[in-house]
Amino acid sequence: MSAPSLGSARRPWWLLAPTLLVLGVLLLWPIVRVVVLSLQDFGLRELVRGGAEFIALDNYVAVLTNERLWRIALPNTVVFAAACVVLTVVVGTLIALVLHQLSGVWRTLVTMAIMAAWAVPAVTGTYVWVYLFDAREGFLTGLLAQAGLIDLATQNLFSDRGWFYAIATLNVVHHGFPFVAVTVLAGLTTIPQELHEAAMIDGATAWQRFRQITLPLLKPVFAIVTILSTIWDFKVFTQIYLMPGGDGANRSVLNLGTWSYVTAMSQNNYGMGAAIAVLLTLLLLAVTVIYLRTLFREEEL
Amino acid sequence: MSRTTRSTRLLALVAGASLVLTACGGDATEDGGDGAEGTAGGQGGGDALTVWIMEGTNPDATPFFEEVSTAFEEQTGATLDVQFVPWASAHDQFTNAIAGGTGPDVAEVGTTWTPEFGDAGALMDLSDQIGEAGLAEQYLPSLMEAGTLDESVYGAPWYAGVRSLVYNTEMLEAAGVEAPTTWDELVEVGTALKEADPDVIPFPVPASVHTTTPFIWGAGGEVAVQEGDTWTSGLDSAESREGLDYLVSLVDEHGLSTPAASTWNEADTRDAFAQEDAAMIISGSWTPKSIIEANADLEGKLGVVPIPGQDGGMAPSFAGGSHLSVFETTDQPDLAWQFVEMMTSGEFAQKWGEQTGFFPGTNDLLSELEEADDPLVAPFATQMKDASKTLPVTPMWGQVEGAQVLPAMMGTLLSGDATVEEATQTAADEMNEIFGS
Repeated sequence: MSAPSLGSARRPWWLLAPTLLVLGVLLLWPIVRVVVLSLQDFGLRELVRGGAEFIALDNYVAVLTNERLWRIALPNTVVFAAACVVLTVVVGTLIALVLHQLSGVWRTLVTMAIMAAWAVPAVTGTYVWVYLFDAREGFLTGLLAQAGLIDLATQNLFSDRGWFYAIATLNVVHHGFPFVAVTVLAGLTTIPQELHEAAMIDGATAWQRFRQITLPLLKPVFAIVTILSTIWDFKVFTQIYLMPGGDGANRSVLNLGTWSYVTAMSQNNYGMGAAIAVLLTLLLLAVTVIYLRTLFREEEL
Repeated sequence: MSRTTRSTRLLALVAGASLVLTACGGDATEDGGDGAEGTAGGQGGGDALTVWIMEGTNPDATPFFEEVSTAFEEQTGATLDVQFVPWASAHDQFTNAIAGGTGPDVAEVGTTWTPEFGDAGALMDLSDQIGEAGLAEQYLPSLMEAGTLDESVYGAPWYAGVRSLVYNTEMLEAAGVEAPTTWDELVEVGTALKEADPDVIPFPVPASVHTTTPFIWGAGGEVAVQEGDTWTSGLDSAESREGLDYLVSLVDEHGLSTPAASTWNEADTRDAFAQEDAAMIISGSWTPKSIIEANADLEGKLGVVPIPGQDGGMAPSFAGGSHLSVFETTDQPDLAWQFVEMMTSGEFAQKWGEQTGFFPGTNDLLSELEEADDPLVAPFATQMKDASKTLPVTPMWGQVEGAQVLPAMMGTLLSGDATVEEATQTAADEMNEIFGS
């Protein structure tokens, strides 16, 4: 009979259907809406009364010719993300290596400390860092002032673009490294001990062993944590928006995420806000594709 | 086997669904029973009205609204669901609610936002209802004007407030000075306070709209001016710049503020004052109560004077306030108006004013307050009557506020990233772009 073969041809689709439905409703449809929005002149009036006009690529032209994109939002986003990804992966890997050496109670204790950093919600974590760097009573600002790095009588760290992003980087790395540490640790436990022992007999240093054994074997793990960190760190919003001045009051610390939100939600310019969001998505996709391609091309060779 | 599990599941589903259904049913009968006694107005027995009220205006808001709910239920048979919204996120929350069609029936709307939301079609025109109730002459003219756009009234005046100079009498006495009456005196008093106690912040200058405008207006400048139908920013005028120069000199030349204040908003400034870290602040008529609530030690140590003018007199401050507006999406417009009327006139309006330190939105009630000789009320009343101004009444103003044009300008000024000339130029350009002029 032909029925079973027909059924088996369709079966994958039946199995995929629930996932596709959920993805379609939760992801694809909003993306389509955002793209459509980005082509419209859409303000509060259109939101309530409908009838938005299509204005082709005017929103994109407005964004791309805006000095704020090139001098503020884009550099803030890219430099910040790059710093965060590198630091998150490096710190996470170092912690994983330490954890791998530890055993018993110490390992449990350190793991718990790491998990605590991970478990703290971004909002809470951000407020804690803001509190620690408060311009008058912050514990860490106090230390920095004692070390002579800043002058409390004239400086408010949050007003300064560099310091603002240094604090944000600390916050994001602190929140992001546990994931890297735990994932890399899982990878480390799969490396046969014999390889390291053999290398040690050959007189390899710790760095050489890491470079020649650990790194090549864990390449897929590093690929995953780097890509995921890149995606997360490019679209950081909460941690920036909640810092003093991060909600748009300080123009020099806007990143693509907060700029998009402020444009759309606070100024009711939904079309342009959507255009910024689409550009951020494209940028992110481009970075991910380039990264994946370099990775897999190397593999093929 | 699989058959049993399936039927068990089905049974569970039915049981669950019926639980939900009976729960709703129970509510309906209960409300119906209550409504039967009190539906004098005839409307909506068993209905519920969702109301958004700004958080923090009244320190004891919960008991107040419990009382209002009881009275409203007696009058109409409908229940009230009052939800509190923080000012800082209210504008976003409104636009999100409008976008999602999840708005309340009635909302407290800041007077500077009413034209924007009204123009967008989110709020109901209340002019007929106000006319029928005979309240058009009763509401304060300035508040009526703030909610009126093209002869449609999008908000009923509820309460108003104005800012003046609030100071710590103990600190001023310790420094041997009196409250300032001119801008030069403000510097002298501030310097004396600093000398008396270097840990005290004499006059914190935050990056906030309403602590900035008195100095722009005080020097004769304007935030924006209207010519015909177009608005143009006045921030880059010589007068505005003179006022801002003075304000910035308090910070960098005389050291009367603190660097931390450059990222403060009004609430942060008030906290510093309540913690006795600051000596003088620009603060609203509704704040002395909450300051004392936050720190009981300050009881009897608060002083208020109108904001000093450049060479005497008073510098105008922003007369802000709130409207009660009915959302266009409500399915109970009559019930909503009944609530608005109840809140904005008579007993509850008066009680709200007494509890919050805001001025009620009707003429009668305000006159009563003017005559009372409370030292924490009278200076504010004088400021309200003789030296208060409104911000531009245009649908575009909400966008200017949303874009934080003034806080951003103050931020760059206070951090020393821009001169007054540069910062005002940037701010004026941004504002004009929004105005489309």
